[in-house]
Amino acid sequence: MSKDLKLLNIQDLYACIDDTSILKGINLEIKPGEIHAIMGRNGSGKTTTANIIMGHPDYEVESGIVELNGENLLEMETWERAREGVFLSFQYPQSVPGLQVGNFLRKSVAAILGEEAAKGKEFRNKLKESMKELDIPSSFLGRYVNDGFSGGEKKRFEILQLMLMKPKLAILDETDSGLDIDGIRTVAKGINAAIRGTESGALIITHYSRILEHVKPDKIHVLISGKIVKTGGPELALELEERGYDWLEEGSED
Amino acid sequence: MNPEELYLSLDEPDNSDHLWRYSPWKRIHPTGNIREIPSNYKQPNINLSFLDGSDVPNEVSITKEYSKSMKNSFSDQISMSFIESVSQDSKFTFKVKNNTVLEQPVLLRIDSESVNSAINLSIEIGRHCEFELITLIEGEPGWFGLLRKANIGEGSIINDVVVGQMKSGTLLRVDAINIGKDSQVKAGSISSGSEKTKADLRYMMNENGSNLRVLGSILSAERMHIDHHIEIYHDAPETYSRLDWHSACGGNSRTIGTGMLRVSDGSKGADAGQLFRNLLLSKKAEADSIPELEVSEHDVVGCGHGTANGPVDEEQLFYLEARGFSPDDAKDALIAAFLNTTLSEMGSETLHQWLAENLQDELKTLTT
Repeated sequence: MSKDLKLLNIQDLYACIDDTSILKGINLEIKPGEIHAIMGRNGSGKTTTANIIMGHPDYEVESGIVELNGENLLEMETWERAREGVFLSFQYPQSVPGLQVGNFLRKSVAAILGEEAAKGKEFRNKLKESMKELDIPSSFLGRYVNDGFSGGEKKRFEILQLMLMKPKLAILDETDSGLDIDGIRTVAKGINAAIRGTESGALIITHYSRILEHVKPDKIHVLISGKIVKTGGPELALELEERGYDWLEEGSED
Repeated sequence: MNPEELYLSLDEPDNSDHLWRYSPWKRIHPTGNIREIPSNYKQPNINLSFLDGSDVPNEVSITKEYSKSMKNSFSDQISMSFIESVSQDSKFTFKVKNNTVLEQPVLLRIDSESVNSAINLSIEIGRHCEFELITLIEGEPGWFGLLRKANIGEGSIINDVVVGQMKSGTLLRVDAINIGKDSQVKAGSISSGSEKTKADLRYMMNENGSNLRVLGSILSAERMHIDHHIEIYHDAPETYSRLDWHSACGGNSRTIGTGMLRVSDGSKGADAGQLFRNLLLSKKAEADSIPELEVSEHDVVGCGHGTANGPVDEEQLFYLEARGFSPDDAKDALIAAFLNTTLSEMGSETLHQWLAENLQDELKTLTT
């Protein structure tokens, strides 16, 4: 694959919800194999960025470009983006009472990777291995999707899906929130297994540097009031931990 | 007084009556002329077997004779006497002997083919029995009546599911179920076929310690009209009941669920609740749920009721679409999940699988 190819290319992205402007000119490029992180305060536009990439119908893109491997994602429906290789690990995954985890996983994998990938021994083995890696018991398969799951179970279930669906781009929206240290380690192991050493990329949205100690990002971006105000290496996370966001806010515009 | 005399002696029920408010008797009667009692109704085809088609043991039987020991004081007289009148040649007793424990579900298949018919079924379940019964109603008649009067013996554990899958016509169903001391009953209803369904389901708990779950998975599409009235009587101490009723309504259809929960004076420690949920799949579909309570005992654990109506949840749709489900597949999956939450509670995994597979084709008609 060419070194210049951009896995994710976001240019001058402006977006709003209910006439409230949230993203005010985002520029972001992720190359194959790279892991980037976005950090920022609540309300800075982190989750909006994730939802816009995935195509949430409540958000309106006012202008800009969002491309995956050169394909215009903004012209695709959510399910088409998923099949194109975009995966969003939700901050608050929806519960679907009545839909069994096992059936849901088979249908999702079939939709994204094709019917053949969702049946047979290979799928079962991959499922078993991934569940073991994430400390998920087999009884999980008989439960309903996210119904009655603890916060940690929900996050591990999102990562299980990530491992099975092998996306080109994984967006992880506060996957570390609500997890204890062991949970963060387990989830990080899953992210590394799915992304590292592949041509896929990831965008980790987080408030904390803890997960970034286990999933070393190539770049960290700081989002303030809908704009990326600073980009740096992994050391930026520690600086933010020490200094907060005020020093960056002074130089940003609303 | 014989059933015909009783029926003809009764006045037309008033629309203010909770039972007939949404489906007047005139609309449910086979000809609409409520003074008429058709006399030419034949016996439907009946077959009793295990779910895999094998024969049931001698402890389980269905015979063409009728038990006269059935109590029925808590049933509606109009619909009951009418079915009794038109099913003179079609009276059966389904009997299960004491201490019968069966590993796989029993299937009672009732096929009315394409002619109007009715069946008057007396169900006698002995003490300490454990089994699952599926009553499947099939055929393409203009009208079919099913009356089930049951006595469930002390300490029995029964999962009793009625699947209404007629392809046309009107189904009138009347259940009057007596639940014995310390017995546990799950009563499931699946309704997906007939153009009109009127069901009057009544459960009496007049002995200590009985436990009842009433579950409904209702699918309505096109111009279907499906009306279930459920009455649960707590007439003894330490009785427990829960009603969970899920209806998915598409097309121009209408579903109605009326619940009446009665807790009589002296039913100390009664614990009762009812919840109706409706999933509206089109702008023209209608769903009405009216739960009512009559509680005459103060010393109860709890008596509650509720209803919830709404369309398919947009955030759930987004979640599934983000996992590659097409919009149609996502919607189908959410409808199936909604109905499955009650379906999966009706019995064993074997029973659940059979019910779920049975409903696959019906689900397609809801969303296309």
